[in-house]
Formats: sequence, C-alpha cells, structure tokens
Amino acid sequence: MSAPLELTRRHFLSQMTTGMTGLALSRLLMSDLGAALPPGTHFAPKAKQVLQIFCPGAASHIDLWDHKPLLDKYDGTPLPGPVEMTFQGKNGNLMKSPWAFKPAGKSGKMISSNLPHMAQHVDDIAFIHSMTSRSNTHGPGCIAMNTCFTREGYPSGGAWVSHALGSLNQNLPTYISVQDVRGEPPNGKANWGNGFLPARHQGVSMAAQQPLRNLSRPTEISQTEDEATREFLRTTNLEHAELHAGNDELRARIAAYELAAKMQLAAPEVTDLTREPDHVHALYGTRDSNPLKAAYAKNCLLTRRFLEKGVRYVSLYCASRASNVDGLLNWDAHRTLKADYDRHCPIFDQPTAALLADLKQRGMLDDVLIIWCTEFGRMPTHQVGTTGRDHNPDAYTTWMMGAGVKGGVSHGSTDDFGRRSVTDIATCYDFYATVLQLLGLNHEKLTYYHNGANRRLTDVHGQVIKQVLA
Amino acid sequence: MSTLLFRAGLALLTASPLIGAEDPASVAFFEQKIRPVLVEQCYECHSAKAKKLKSGLFLDSKVGWQKGGESGKAIIVPGKPEESLLLRSIRHTEVDLEMPPKKPKLPDTVLADFAAWIKAGAIDPRDQATAEVKRGDKNWWSLQPLAKEFTHADIDGFIDAKLAEQKLTRSAPAKPQALIRRLSYDLTGLPPSQAEVDAFVAAHQADARKATEALVDRLLASPRYGEHWGRHWLDVVRFGESNGFERNFVIDDLYPFRDYVIRSLNDDKPFDQLMREHLAGDVIGQNQPAVEVGSAFLVAGPYDDVGNQDPVATQNIRAATLDDMITATSGTFLGLTINCARCHNHKFDPIATEDYYRLRAAFEGVVHGRRTVVTKEEQQAFDGAMAPLNAERAKIVAAQDDLTKTVEAKAKKLLATRKPSRPKADTLLTEEKITPVDARFVKLTMSATSSNPKSGVGGRISEFEIWSDEATPRNVALASYGSTAEGAKGATADDFPQAYSAALTIDGDEGAQWFVGNPAELVITLPRVERISRLAYRTAKGRLVRDNTQGATPCEYEMFVSRDGQEWQKVADSYDREAWSPAHAFERVRREVTTPEEAKQLAKLTGQLAVLDKRIAAVPKLRQMWVGTHQPKPAPTFVQKGGDPMKPLAQVLPASLGVLDQVTPKYELKADAPEGERRVALANWITKDNPITARVLANRLWHYHFGTGLVDTPSDFGFLGSKPTHPELLDFLAQRLIAHGWKIKALHREILLSQTYLQSADFNPTAARVDKDARLLWRFPPRRLGAEEIRDTLLATAGQLKLEPMGGPGFRLYRYLRNNVSTYIPLDTQGPETYRRAVYHQNARASVVDILNDFDLPDIAFASPKRANTTSPLQALTLFNNSFTLDMAKALATRLDGPDPIAQAYSFTLQRQPTATERAAAEKLIAQHGKPAFCRALLNSNALIFVE
Repeated sequence: MSAPLELTRRHFLSQMTTGMTGLALSRLLMSDLGAALPPGTHFAPKAKQVLQIFCPGAASHIDLWDHKPLLDKYDGTPLPGPVEMTFQGKNGNLMKSPWAFKPAGKSGKMISSNLPHMAQHVDDIAFIHSMTSRSNTHGPGCIAMNTCFTREGYPSGGAWVSHALGSLNQNLPTYISVQDVRGEPPNGKANWGNGFLPARHQGVSMAAQQPLRNLSRPTEISQTEDEATREFLRTTNLEHAELHAGNDELRARIAAYELAAKMQLAAPEVTDLTREPDHVHALYGTRDSNPLKAAYAKNCLLTRRFLEKGVRYVSLYCASRASNVDGLLNWDAHRTLKADYDRHCPIFDQPTAALLADLKQRGMLDDVLIIWCTEFGRMPTHQVGTTGRDHNPDAYTTWMMGAGVKGGVSHGSTDDFGRRSVTDIATCYDFYATVLQLLGLNHEKLTYYHNGANRRLTDVHGQVIKQVLA
Repeated sequence: MSTLLFRAGLALLTASPLIGAEDPASVAFFEQKIRPVLVEQCYECHSAKAKKLKSGLFLDSKVGWQKGGESGKAIIVPGKPEESLLLRSIRHTEVDLEMPPKKPKLPDTVLADFAAWIKAGAIDPRDQATAEVKRGDKNWWSLQPLAKEFTHADIDGFIDAKLAEQKLTRSAPAKPQALIRRLSYDLTGLPPSQAEVDAFVAAHQADARKATEALVDRLLASPRYGEHWGRHWLDVVRFGESNGFERNFVIDDLYPFRDYVIRSLNDDKPFDQLMREHLAGDVIGQNQPAVEVGSAFLVAGPYDDVGNQDPVATQNIRAATLDDMITATSGTFLGLTINCARCHNHKFDPIATEDYYRLRAAFEGVVHGRRTVVTKEEQQAFDGAMAPLNAERAKIVAAQDDLTKTVEAKAKKLLATRKPSRPKADTLLTEEKITPVDARFVKLTMSATSSNPKSGVGGRISEFEIWSDEATPRNVALASYGSTAEGAKGATADDFPQAYSAALTIDGDEGAQWFVGNPAELVITLPRVERISRLAYRTAKGRLVRDNTQGATPCEYEMFVSRDGQEWQKVADSYDREAWSPAHAFERVRREVTTPEEAKQLAKLTGQLAVLDKRIAAVPKLRQMWVGTHQPKPAPTFVQKGGDPMKPLAQVLPASLGVLDQVTPKYELKADAPEGERRVALANWITKDNPITARVLANRLWHYHFGTGLVDTPSDFGFLGSKPTHPELLDFLAQRLIAHGWKIKALHREILLSQTYLQSADFNPTAARVDKDARLLWRFPPRRLGAEEIRDTLLATAGQLKLEPMGGPGFRLYRYLRNNVSTYIPLDTQGPETYRRAVYHQNARASVVDILNDFDLPDIAFASPKRANTTSPLQALTLFNNSFTLDMAKALATRLDGPDPIAQAYSFTLQRQPTATERAAAEKLIAQHGKPAFCRALLNSNALIFVE
C-alpha cells in the first residue's frame, strides 16, 4: 500500500513545485532530460527568493529617496506651467521637503535625513527613480504594482513566481503575505491574489499579529485524538482510493492531509520569535515603546525567518489602507506631510534597515532579491490649503537590492522638481520583467491561458532594466 | 493541484492524439516555444512559401512532419524524442543533417523545448495540410451556422460513433446507488437521503428506465434545482455583491438578481427570454420588477467608484467600467473574447476593433447604481399615500418659515447694534487669555461648528492647550505631562481603537484629530492643580491649513475651570467674538428676541412636524435595487486608438457585430438612438437567429453535467479556446435547445436520460490509455464536489441545513468593516444563522471565507465559466481544523442515537453501509475518543466529497 502512496506523494510534491500546465510539465520533462537549470527557469537565475517590501499609500519619492535641490530653492513659487488638477483637486505652489537630504555611503547617495538607518544600505541598493503608474488611485495603483493590471483579478507577482518556480520548502506556503498590524493595504487581498492561476499560488496571510488561519489543532482536541482521527481518515481514504483506481486526485488529497499535518507542526516553530536572542530583538526594535514600530519590527523578524526556511516570496507591508484620516494609517500625506511622515518613517526605518542588515550578514543576499515598492509618487506642490502633497502617478521611486542587483546605482530620473519621470522612464512592466529576469525567467515566456488569451505578468509590455543588474 | 490541468498533463504524458490537441496549455506550449522557432529557422526551406523546398519536407503543418521528407518516414515520433530525426538533426547528432544548415546550433533551451514537446506528444494544432494558420478567420468552426442534418438521432449515437473510432465502448450502466447520488448532486447540489436511495434502488430493480425518469423529473421539479444551477449561472455572469476595487463596498440590494436567477431556472423560463432580460429587462419589462431585475446583469461586475478630479483618469475609469459589461456580454452569451479587441483588432479571431466599440455603443448610457424598481400600481399607491402627507408638511413648513422670518427680522435689528470685540474662532488657533486661576480641571463645551450653527457635534480638534501662568509657560495639558482627556468620539475605526479619540487632543501632534461626539464636551484633567492663564485649541492638522476642515471648526463655545471637578467656574466664551457666519450670529441672538408666544408657537410647529415625519417614515419605502441607471441620450461612441479614451478615431454606431455578419441578420441604429433601444436591439440580435448563442449555452449544460464541456473553454469558442470533441453533437444539442423553445429542463432531461450519462464511472485502464480524462465518455467522469456543495453537504449530513428562507438578503461568513474602504474579516465561528445553502452567501469580491474559498469558490473579479479544481494542504487544514467542521461533527454525533451508530453515520454521510474494515476502525476511534472524533474524520473523507 505504501509504495504507490509514496509515488503519489512525490508526484504530488513535484506538482506543488512546478504546477501542472503543459508548460510546467514540459519543464518537468526537461529536467528529466538532464537540463542543468533549476526547475521552471528559462535560464540560470541570480536569485531564488524574493522579499517585497511595500509601503502603501504612495510613499513620497521626493521626501524619501529622490533628492530635488531645486525644490528647496523654488519653495513657495509656482510650478512652471498651468495649475494642475490632480486626484484631490487643485495644487498650490512648490513645497520643499520638510527634511534635509544627506549624503550616505561611499556612493554619497542623497537620502532623506528622516531615514537615518536606511542610509547605511544605499551602497547596496539600485534605485529606480523614473517609475510611472497607470493609475492615480491607491487601490488600482497598488494592484498594478503587484499584478501589472489596474483592475483586480490578475495574479500578483508572487503568485506568478509560485506558478513558475514552485516551492523551496515542504512545510510552509510558497508565497506569504505579511500584513501590517494596522490592516490590509488598499484593495486588500487582490494584492496577493492568485487571480486566474490555481488557488495554491495565492499569497497566504501570516504575520506576527495574525497566525495562519486554521493552522492549529483546535484547543478542545487533544494531540492523541487528533492523531487517531487522522489515522482513521487515512485508512478510510486509502481503502476508498483502492476501490477507485484511476483517480489520482484521491491520492493527492491523502498527500495533502499529510502535508497539512507537517505544516501544523512546522509553522508554529517558525513563527516563534522568542527563539531569537535579545540582541536580534534589539537590532530590529521589536520591543520599541512605539507599538506600531514594534509590531512592524516583529513582522520584519518573522520575514527573515520565513526566508530562512525557504519561503519563495514574501510580501511585507509597512502601513495599511486609507482611513477617514488621510495619512494616518499609511503614507498618503495629503494634508500634513511633516506630521504624517514623522509618524511613518520611524516605524519603517530601523526595522527595515535591520532586516536588510541581518539578511546581508547571514549571506542570504546571495539568494534573496529585495524589492521595495509603493503605488505611485506625490506632487512637488502642496495641495491647496494644506501642507500635504497630492497623488502623482507620473513619477515615483522603487528600488532593488540583493541577489543579482548592482548596488549604489540610481537609474532614471525625474525632472528638477520630481513632477515627472524624464529619463529612462520605467513602468511596473519593466520592474517585473527585471524581477523575473533575476529569477531566471523570461517575462515574455511565462504565460498562462485564461479566458481567451495567454496572459503574462507583464501584459504585453516590459523591458528588463539592465542597468540595475550586477 | 488543478485537476483539469492535471488531467491535461497526463494526457500529454500518455501522448493521446485525441485529447492533447484540445488542450489549451499544450497548444500554448506549441505556440510559444515551438512554432516561432519553426517559422524563423525552418520555413525558409520547409514550407509552402519556401522559394525552393528542400528534401520535400514541409514543417508548416502537422501532416508535413508526419509524412516526412524524401525518406517518407515521420521525422517526429510523438513521445520519443530520441527516435525523432528532427531532434537529432537540430541537436547536431545526425551526421550531415545538422540543422539549421550553416548556422550555429540552436540554444540549449530551445533544444530542450523541442525535446519536451516531442516527449509530451508533439501536440501540433496545425491541422490544415499546408496553410499556415496563425489565427481564425470567418471560416472558424464556431462562427458557422448550426448544422441541420445529423448522422445520429440521439446523444448516444454521436458518443458511440466517436468511441468506436478509438475502438472504445461505453461502460455498463451505473448501479442505482451511485446513480441517485450522481443525479442528486448534479441537479440539486445536495446528497440524497438514505430513504430516497432505498426507494430508488427498489424502483430501479422493478423498472430502471421508469424509475430513472421519475427521479430526474422529481429533481428537476425541486426548488433545490434552481439554487444549484442558478449558482452555476451566477459564476458565468460574474455576479458578486461588492463593487471591488479600492473601496469594495458591499452591495446589499443586488440579491434580488440572485433570487431572480434561481426563480427563473426553477420556472424553466426560456433562456432566450432570460438573456433578453439580462441585457434590457428594464426596457422590455418596464414597471415589472420581476423582469427589470434581470438587467442587473450589466452592473453585477466590479467597477471603480473612487471619485477623481483628474479628467483623464475619469475617462479611463469609465472605459474600464464599460469594458466589464462588454466582456461579460460577449463571454456569457457569445463565447467570444470581444474584449481582446479593445486596443486593436483581435489577435486571433476575426473580430475588428469596431465590434468592441459597437458593443460599447450599446452600453454607453449604462451607469452603476441603485434605482427604484416597482410596478405602476406600487408607484401610484405610494404617490397616493404621500400626497396628503406632503401637502400637510408644506403647510407646517410655511408657517414655520413665516414665524422664523418675523423672528429673524427682529434678530437682525438687534444684531446691528452688536459690535463683536474680538475676531471669530480660528481653525488654526482659537485662544483665550484668562485671569490667572488655580485649576486641575478644564472643560470645553461647544455649541456650534463652522458648518452647523446649532450643534458642536461633528467638530474636530487636533490639539487643546493649557498654558501655565509663569515666565516660561508650559503646556500642562499634554499627555506626556501626565494629563488625561475625555470626550465622546463621533467616529470609529474598528481595527485602530485610538483613532478619533479625545486623547488625540493632548498628544502634542497636530496630525490626528478628535472627532467630536455627543455631548460636544471635552474635559482635561491635569495631574495636579496648576496656576493657568491661557487656553487654546486647534482644528487644523498642522499650522498652515485654513480651509481643509470641512466645516468642523468649533466656533461657539464656553470654557470652564474647576479645582475639584465638581464646582465649575466659567472663564471664557465665544459670545463677544465675531460670529462665524450670519447664521451663527442669528443663532446667538435668536433666543433673546423670541417672545414666549413665538417660542410656544415654534415648538408646537416643530412638534407637529416631528409627528408628521414619523407618519411619512412609516409609509413603506419603494423598493430599490442595484440594477443600474441609464442616461437617455448617451454620448457618441468612438473607436479609441490603442484603447486610449484620449485618442478617439472614427465614430461607431450601435450595431450588430461584423464578426458574425455571415450568420446573423445585421442591424444598425442611428448615432442618436435612444439608450434603451440600443440594448433591446443587441438582445434581440444575440437571441434571435444567432447560432452562436444556442451553441454556447448547450455546451454550458454539457459542461456542468459531465464536468467538462464538449468545448472545454466554455466562454471562449475562439482560436485560443478549444475545439469541440464532438462538433456535430454540439450543434445537435443547440438545435434541440431551440426546438425546446430555449427551455433547458427538457434538454437536461435528454442528456440525463442518455445511456452516456447513465453509464458507470468504473475505471478501465485500457480505455484510460487512449483517453485518460474520458472526454470521449467511455465512462462517466467522476468529480469532486464544488465549494458550495461541500459546505451544504456538511450541513445536510449534520441535519443542520436550513432551506428557508429561500432567498432574500444573504448571510455573511465575514465581518464587514467600512470607513472609506472595506475590510472583510473571516468569521472564526459560524453560527446557526449561516446554516443556509451557500448560494445565499453574500459573496463579496476580494473577501476570503473558510472552506468556500479553499475549495475554489472563484474570486469573481472575472466570470468563472469553469471553476478550478485544486487540491492543497490549506484545504486539508481548513476542513480538518475549522470550527465549522467541528460544529458539524458534533451535530452529526448527536444524530447517531440508534443501536448501531456507526451504520447510522455511514447512512447519513454516504448513504451506504460501512465495510468491515471501516466498522472496525470506527469502533476503535469511538471507543477511544468518542463519536465527534469519528464524525470529524468522516466529514473529511474523500468518499464524502467525490461523486461517481
């Protein structure tokens, strides 16, 4: 009895790894034929795992990463050209960043003084300053930055990678979405959805404040009862499967229960942060007196543990959706930029920098590609009657770091004030073409048939941004 | 793992010549990896277009490589890469035949692609002998008229003929136990009861045909039929009860559409009628709510409702909104992906981009939203009830106005004599310097805000400051100093408890505001008595803002201090300040000038108005539904270059689609045709004399009965979709559908009573080698239950399923949080109010609910003409550990009250007796851990959720 089951389980796991489309199957066959590439890849990969850090709410490029000295000089004067109507309406005059920029690292990269910890990493980071978005609205903008489509229903980058490359571990999900303690980002679950890909490719929500749903044995049931119940189930399912030859799905379900039991044991171990020494907690700031910072720091630490255990793709969120109060729960500083970012930067800065340093020190950047995202940028002007900035889909910054990325690079640029991207203009398509490239995938070849089209993560666009490749 | 895909994969492995060709994934593989290489590297010498054909070998068709070149042998042996000459020559392992000639070897990845392709069966969709077809034209199979003459008289004839071609035969008839389970799930989505099984088995032994007919008729007549098949249809029409996108607000008045679908199916409403109602129910059934509700189809999809001041963004959003209607309409009714022609002519089908915009012209005036949907009689009755009330109300209001004017005139005079000595309250900073006083408590009461002269509720305060009376004053109100603030808050954010609270007034941060609740009063308690001389508050967030408070600046107030919190001393008020507005000023002096008689009279009128308003409120409101609204004169429609609304090209008219002009009657309306007329014309064109519509619908029925359609891409009959396994049968079924007057119950009956359907699901390894998935139906294909069926089955098995109410507002398996966006939090425990059939769950987009989502309930961002069928450890975790399963296990355990509880359990769950091994194992488990443990296992068993 056990031999066929073993066979099935291996079969099942290999499907977990590759997906079972004709394409994926062919890769399976390809590896049988002795091709030297890792399963699923089109060419030799530079990175095996992805850490995505997402700051929802449209984190302002010109107040964090993209230094605009002329903005200081022309503060309070009109932006050349007609007064623009943007998302929330009229714009006032140019408004300088409330924080000075300071040179950092050997590269002397200018970075906001509000990010003192992140400044230590600039020599390892490739900034892309010339991003543009197709949407000026948070929800569609966020999912575009995750799926390359402004409408929901398309698979996120993590789901595509799961589909293409499968799992690197046997006890944890392939793709985990770590949400902020303040809640979900704009458009919620669509950001880590599987879209039309099979459901197993969806990002699974886990965070320090929120364990995986249904993971634990119900408290009212003892370990022995749980095991006895599983054993009965296994026996009865095996008998049923024997009576129904030719239905592989039955055996796949038996294997799924066994894998579930393993996850039930493994996951609590991974999420147990008490196993970390004090100095690591101190590095991340998990015990900070600011509860929001401490919560995010715990998620950063958890993220490192996920990556260590071979989770393929982790999306880590810093801040959440909009609330009735603009800029309170996320980076959407419409009215009071200074107060808002004096709240958000300290939450983001130390824990994120600690995570990057920790990954580096453990040698994990050989495998892990880090991408930092937000949905669009902000206007160099202030919104009429406020000290905040409106949405700006025409210019924003993202960055990459880690496996396969050339550090200390600033690719593309915006105009003198950061109003528009002007050189080497980039899009989410280019961004993900580059991410896939680093993972050993040709973005034009990674496709999936759905409702009449062979869909791609990069739609019908995308060019690899070679300048950020090591 | 997706079974469909999984099956496709195995089909590739077994190199079935029959099945692979139909499989979109393997076709995609060929299209992406193989064809481009052949075109680039080989066609120059090996195609019909070659200037000089080499070795007589064609590689631009499947027949070409099958025939081979001058050698006369196939150069590809499907399944055997090593034996394929083609592969050896491109690998340069065939001496003197290194290909392509005089060029470097192709990259290793390409060679690996070819090896994989050949090993997987060398699926090659290029059927035509030599023509290189990259896309469908109007000769495409699905664009042809329906066949009228058939070689067989019934379904079995078509099936048997195809089986015979592969030397296969149908299986023996299914056993009655299996058959009733199969039919019950197929038609109602629920298991049969043991009594029903027993009765059917007995009747079947007496007269199998008669018993089966009776069973099919009983199930088709069951109200459960409409619930189950209605759910199928809701998948197809991408029905979801929230608007999706950023806000994703739940929609509470769309459920009438769900009930309408269920009712229509139970009533066996002709489907052509149903489809016309979907597109134009509000026009063809004006003032008939039961018909009008059908047109909710158009607005049942997701749409972006976030307002936008940017005009370009607004146009793009509108285009996306209409795109959803166009996509839903073309996929649901026509099986065409017309939406792919939004930016350019369709890449694979003969659909011109004009066709896309013709459809857009039909929907140009449709807008998402709710509207009153009532009969004329209901409207008249309502108007009749309201008329006298409105008249009476007008009278009272007029009297109020008169009196108010009198008072106002006096107030104005008095106001003219008042000279405010101080400026008005200030959004940035409203400050009171007071005589130094010892205090431990400070109270602010507010009686007006800048937008409401009559109440301070709704005001906002970002900071309140209390300054000490000393050389270097300190703000002693700060929380960091030890002070506390109390006050009711007027807003909440469920997941962020500190939001909007009075504590925000003393946090030293001008970013976040206290939203003033009722009573409009703030009390600040200092850690100790302090000598103070200045009080101040701010509404603005930050110090440069003047106009962003949306009327929330408190502007009429009094301030008090106290040493003990008992005795209060007033230290300041706003009454000598300039009033915020004349209305505020009036409100201040109003009381002074109103005579007692006037006050009495006003109070009386106010009282009368309140009584009357209660009577008005008691008149039942007219029913509102989410059926959309319509602009009577829609804007003109233009083709958009690259799908960009900012780049209009030629104008298009509301008209029939060119792609079908060879098989359907044409129509073309004028550019200014009224809105409703456009949709009626489209609905008629889709449902009358349109061969595609019947073919697509017939295939959907087949798909749900057998698990896979004759075309296994049910909403895509185009070039990238699949071709039918039985094209003639498909047309036969479409003709039968039309002959039955588009009533689908009659077609169900024909399919269900065919020997093809009634055969057993027994496995046959020989047949499986040829046709693993039984697409040719050498057996009935077994299937796993769908998401709703699984939850409904657990409820039914546990004796907990509530069949009433059959319709009405849906239940929720999530907690719904809303401020300016929505959050859906899955429930940890599902109470008895959720024990209804899952079709009545209020399925919101981008929400996650246990069990249903795990078992592939689609996310409904798009239509789901075919559900995924996955197997994952998360399913196992959920079904094994979720409290719902445990609750059902306990409920089932309490049902096991007879002398043989184990037999009872198998009877409730599987409608059969346990085997000897099952009984032994069950006895052991029950003895050690009790009945609920045993029930939990049974509810997780494969046998429960697979039908054969």
